[in-house]
Order: sequence, then C-alpha cells, then structure tokens
Amino acid sequence: MPQSNRGGPLAGIRVLEITKVWAGPYTGKILAALGAEVIKVESATNLDEMRAYGGVDINAAPYFLSINQEILSVQVNMKTDEGLELVRQMVAQSDIVVDNIRPGAMERSQLDYEHLRQIKSDIIQCSIKMWGTDGPLGYQTGYAPCFAALSGLTNLVGYEGETPEGMNIRYGDATAGAWAALACIAALNHRDNTGEGQFIDHSAVESMTCLVGDSLFAYALTGEVPKSDGNYHPEMCPHGAYACAGGEWISIAAENEAEWQALCKGLDAEALASDPRFATLGSRLEHRQTLDAVLSELTGPQDASHLSDRLRRAGVPAFRSQSSIDLCSDGYLWGRQGYRMVTDHRNGTRPIIGPSWRMEPDMASVERGAPLLGEHNDYVYRELLGLSQERLDDLVARKVVE
Amino acid sequence: MSGALKGTLVIEVAERPAGEYTAKLLAELGADVIKVERPGGAPTRAMGPHKDGQSAVFGFFNTGKKSVVLDLADPADRATLDGLLARAQVLIDDHDEAWGMAYSLTASLVAAAHPHLVHCIVTPFGQGAPREWQKAHPINVMNAGGWAYHSPTEAKPDKPPLKGAGRFLPDYEAGIDAATCVLASLHRQRKSGAKGAGGQFIDISEIEVQINRIDCVLDRMLAGDAEPSQERTAYDMGGPATCFACLDGHVYLFMTTQGHWQALGKLMGNPDWFGQFEPDWLEFHCTRERVEEFRALFRPWIARQAKLAITEAAQQAGLAMVPINTAADLPKNEQFIHRGFFQTVAGLTYPGLPFRMSASPSRIAGPAPALGEG
Repeated sequence: MPQSNRGGPLAGIRVLEITKVWAGPYTGKILAALGAEVIKVESATNLDEMRAYGGVDINAAPYFLSINQEILSVQVNMKTDEGLELVRQMVAQSDIVVDNIRPGAMERSQLDYEHLRQIKSDIIQCSIKMWGTDGPLGYQTGYAPCFAALSGLTNLVGYEGETPEGMNIRYGDATAGAWAALACIAALNHRDNTGEGQFIDHSAVESMTCLVGDSLFAYALTGEVPKSDGNYHPEMCPHGAYACAGGEWISIAAENEAEWQALCKGLDAEALASDPRFATLGSRLEHRQTLDAVLSELTGPQDASHLSDRLRRAGVPAFRSQSSIDLCSDGYLWGRQGYRMVTDHRNGTRPIIGPSWRMEPDMASVERGAPLLGEHNDYVYRELLGLSQERLDDLVARKVVE
Repeated sequence: MSGALKGTLVIEVAERPAGEYTAKLLAELGADVIKVERPGGAPTRAMGPHKDGQSAVFGFFNTGKKSVVLDLADPADRATLDGLLARAQVLIDDHDEAWGMAYSLTASLVAAAHPHLVHCIVTPFGQGAPREWQKAHPINVMNAGGWAYHSPTEAKPDKPPLKGAGRFLPDYEAGIDAATCVLASLHRQRKSGAKGAGGQFIDISEIEVQINRIDCVLDRMLAGDAEPSQERTAYDMGGPATCFACLDGHVYLFMTTQGHWQALGKLMGNPDWFGQFEPDWLEFHCTRERVEEFRALFRPWIARQAKLAITEAAQQAGLAMVPINTAADLPKNEQFIHRGFFQTVAGLTYPGLPFRMSASPSRIAGPAPALGEG
C-alpha cells in the first residue's frame, strides 16, 4: 500500500518517530501536517501511554486519537535484537528520527546519533529530553509543569503579590514538540545546502524559557527581576479580563487615548473619559486598581459576547474569554477549518484540531485519523524493507513484530 | 560551522513581536534578515522597559537583523522594497489586511510580483477574519484561544483569567509555527529550482496556534469523548500538583503515584500525619478534600526548606519537585551553563534557542540594529 500523495512542502521526507505521550508525538504531527511521511514505531508490550488513557481499546483511545493524525504505525519489539535490527533498517530509509524516550534509552539500544550516522550518513536525529541529552542535570525527567517551573515561565504567571501559579498544568508539552519540529526542518535546510545530517539535542525546559525571552533580556538590561504580575501591562491601561454576566469574562486592552475614549463610549460611561484620575496612561496606571474595579462594575451585568462585539465595533480590542464549550462551538473556527474532520476507524469520522497554518499553493492534506496499532506493518516491512510475506509472518509468530 | 539558513535572505515588514520573533528565529538559524522600518522606527522601539534609550522589547526581538528605513507610502521606497524582494527568499509580515491593501503587500499581489517568494503573514485570527477582529492585542488572543480562561490551574471563579507569562506569549507561540512553516517552505522552494515559481503564501492564525497546543484536551471535547463546559478548571488534571512557597522562593511539586508518595515520605522523614493517608491515595482516593488536607500539612514544612537543596534531594529520591526558577536563577543554573543556552553579545546576555544543533549551531549574530543600520 503506497502512501497517498498528500502534497505539502515536506512531501518525500520520511520521519521515524520513537516517541510517547505528548511532546514527541506532537512533533510528528506537525511534520506530518507539512506533508512528511511519519512512521511511529510502537509495540503492544511497550505502548504509548496515550493508547491506554481513558479507555481500554488501544485502537480507540481518545488521547491518542486527538494527536496522531496522518501518522503511520509499525509494530516492533525493541527489546529484541532482531527488532532493533529492523528499526535500523527503517532508519536507513528515513531522513529524520525523532525520540522523546528516557535519557540513556536510545544509547542503550545503540540508536544514538553515532550509531545512526553509520547506518545513514546524512541522518537527522532529534532527541527531546527535559533537560537535554547530557550535562549535570541531564539525568532528570519530569512532566510539563515541572519543566515550565524550571524554565522561568511559571514564575511570571500568577496574581500580583501572590505565590506564582503558572499556566494551566497542560501547558508545555505541545510547545516543546513544536520547537522540535522547527529544529528538524532547520536541519533539513542545512542538509539541502551541504548534504550533511546532524544531531539535535533538544531541551523541553529551554523550550519554555524561550517564551519569556524578552523578560529575561529586560532583566539582563535593567537588573530588575520580573515577577508574576496578573494582567498588568506597563504600557496599556486598562489591560485585563473583566467579569461579565453568568460567570463569563471579557478581555479588554486599550493601547492609546483613542482606544481609551472609545472604550468609555462603548461602555456608555463617558464620565470616565473626563475623570482626571484616568486622563492619561500614567494616571490610569497609577489608579489601575480603582479603574479595574470601576470597569468590572460596568461589565458585570453585561453579556460578554455582545459587549465584545460592541466594543470591537467601537474600535476597542476586546474579546470574550473563551471556555472549552465556547471553543468547541466556535463557528468561526469551524468555518475556517480550524477544526476539521478526519477518518476514524470506529465512527467513520472524527473532528480534530487542524494545523495553525494555511498554505497556498500546496497545503498538505490532513484526512486520516490516528493509526491502529501496526496498521502499516505491511507497508513498512513488505514495501519499504522488502521483506517476504513468509519472513514477516515469522517475525509476527515470534513476537518480534508485536 | 555556519547556520542552517546560510545564504537565505529574509525581508521583514512586520511591526509586532509576532512577526519580529519569526524573523529573529530565522536570523538565529543563519539567515540574513533585513528589517524594514517606517520613518521614525518600528513601533516596538517605543516599548519599555528602556535602558539608556534602548528598548528591551526591540532589543530582544530584533537581534541579528539589519535595518532599513522605508516609507512604503512613497513610490520610490516601495520600489526599493520590490528590489529587495526580488533577491530575497522570504517575506515576513504581521499586519492586518487593510495594511496589506494599502501597500500592495497582499498575498495575491506579492505572489504575482514575486512568484518565487515564501510569504508569511502572522495575524491574530488568520486571513479573512472580520475587519474589526483584526486588531487584537496578545491578551485578547490569549483569552480568545482559551488558555487565559483555564489559567492558572484550579482557577477561582472570582479571579480573572490570566494573560500568561510576560506580555507576548501568543506572539512567541505563533512565531514558532510561522518559522517552522517558512523553513518547510524554503525546503520546497529549493527543490523547485532557482528560477521556478517555488513560492508559497503562509497564513498563520495566532488563535489556531493556541488551540492546537491543547489538542489532546480540547479535541477529546470536540469529539465527544469528554464534556466541554464553562468550568474554569476544564483543562485541569486534578491531583495535588501546585506551587508552594519555601524559605527562599517557590517550588513546584508534581505527584501522581504511590511511588511519588513514598518518595515524599522518605524526603520528609515519614512524619506521623502520613498515616492519615492511604499509601495509594494519589491513584485511588484523590479527592479535592484530600488534596487540601495534604497541602495544609505539607505547607508549613516546605516553607522552612531551601529551594535548591530540597529540590535536589527530591530528585535523588525520585520525586518530581523542582525549583520555580526566576530570571536571576537561570544564568547561574549549571545545566543552562553546560548547554550554553545564554549567549553574550556586545556585553549583554540573551537566551538562545532550545536545541543544540551539532552541524549548524544557532547563533545570535549581533544585537538589534540601530535605525537604518546595516
């Protein structure tokens, strides 16, 4: 079964993915959404946990289905020498190898870069680890909120004067995976230019640190250590999220005097515009607690969606703070294919969250949902590796392919 | 060793951190980036904090670029831009559609004039959004995209959704996807041959980056595997993981298993109150009440511990308790030093990229340019 020509800028690039959970699979998802053929190496006895969460059917596990669109699955038991030899043969047919398994595991399986480059001299390998591949803390492992805490990001999220709280606990894995995809394609560009492959030593901690780069640079420049600051903005006021009716919230930010005046008008509170405490950015910042309280009183009884529509039309950047149910029913995102349907082995189709980009021309198609375990064994073993049916049957019987 | 994008010329007409960060990433990967600035300079030059007249925001987002001042309303300057685009491979923009119309830099006009070009525009809601949506600040994008509503974890109904770390989180996130797409498109452009029409238009939606980063939570709701709701806690996992104040700062504790619980017991010298909890409570009896009970007992103990010493001991014991590092901690951190993450350019320290490339290392080639420098 040759894989369909999905188009996209990475058409013709093959990626071998030895990954689990979220960050590594997210890298594979992005590369696949750009047109690469991504083959996930799996086994029934060493499953991606995402195939186990939230259900017993490993082929219909919601967490797994929500990430692994357009990924191919090949089974191989990497705890056997024969299995590892098969993986090496797959490496020989690949351009990029991505892993996010425990520190030291790739080395123990002789799948580290020094070994892989002997199999294919221009291979690109990207290893995703919490702290990178080596170094004094390289042995440590952790979960996304741990690397966010280590990175400097968590310390900047929280309410003023309180213990920092960080982003939602789910934040971090996907971003780390996105960075790894960027690095792999950068390496592909280098290979285009020089013929040379390379090893990419990726740190999940640093992938969060990058996101507060300007705050760190400001510290280097001024010596002032930044802290969690609620919704404070030194150059916009008001700037925050304000309570509306029914537990909803609206975000409002006024960048200049025109937006401030428009806000007062949009809230039918023109007296505010002439209040000397709020006459300039400087005075609004000085009285911002008071201002936030006054604005909250005005927004409190209003419907967040109607108010944000009205404010935007008046020229004030404002948007409803969207809950999960708001997002799921967002007509704009559905209409724009921010959400789209892919095939699903059980129900026929499944909605997924589509790529964050559109390309014209040559956008890769994203139509197939996550694979069954071993769905592409025949393609990989028979077509790519050229094994006979008898040999494949034997590998299955002896649980090398399992 | 040279960067992965050596020999690539990128023209940046962006004026927000979203587009500036996209081009900065390309610069650190070895591209030559020329930033087009309006007369008087880019708006980000006015963003504080300032030191000796230098903006930290502009100084960070524009490292390694050259600057050229062009008044795009002036036909001669606009023609100069076309000259630059004719020899460039990439154009980065982050304006609304009216701006593109005003300066003839829409997707179709650029594709017609420069069919070889990779042209990327980063906007809050993507191309085709209602006109009045097109002006949105990062806090609006964070709120529209759902991360604000669900941050922090265990968000209280009476406390506002949070904008995230610093002022520009959605800009960074969008910059990653934008640079990724541009890199992929450059690979395609190269394959199509030097004179081919190998260009592409890339439309990046900041809000779609936000929702993509929560795929394995939000998509389960879209597909009906989990219930979407109006709860501020809808993205949470439950469990006792949270931040705690300690003697000299804060730590983050993550625990989900009996093994973690035993490790914590060992670290604390198995205090009597541990007996109040079943050994497997984290896996099987992890109610909100139990979590609060645990935290109340843990808080006084952790408050007396030193951040680095106790988290190092925790890691040795197999417990995922880590320091909440501050901006001041990071440059001194042995792992960051080992990896050379911070780079010093002209006497100032900058964070680099989160990966080390063995054959084409990334590099901050220089500080942000003075107006018209280069």
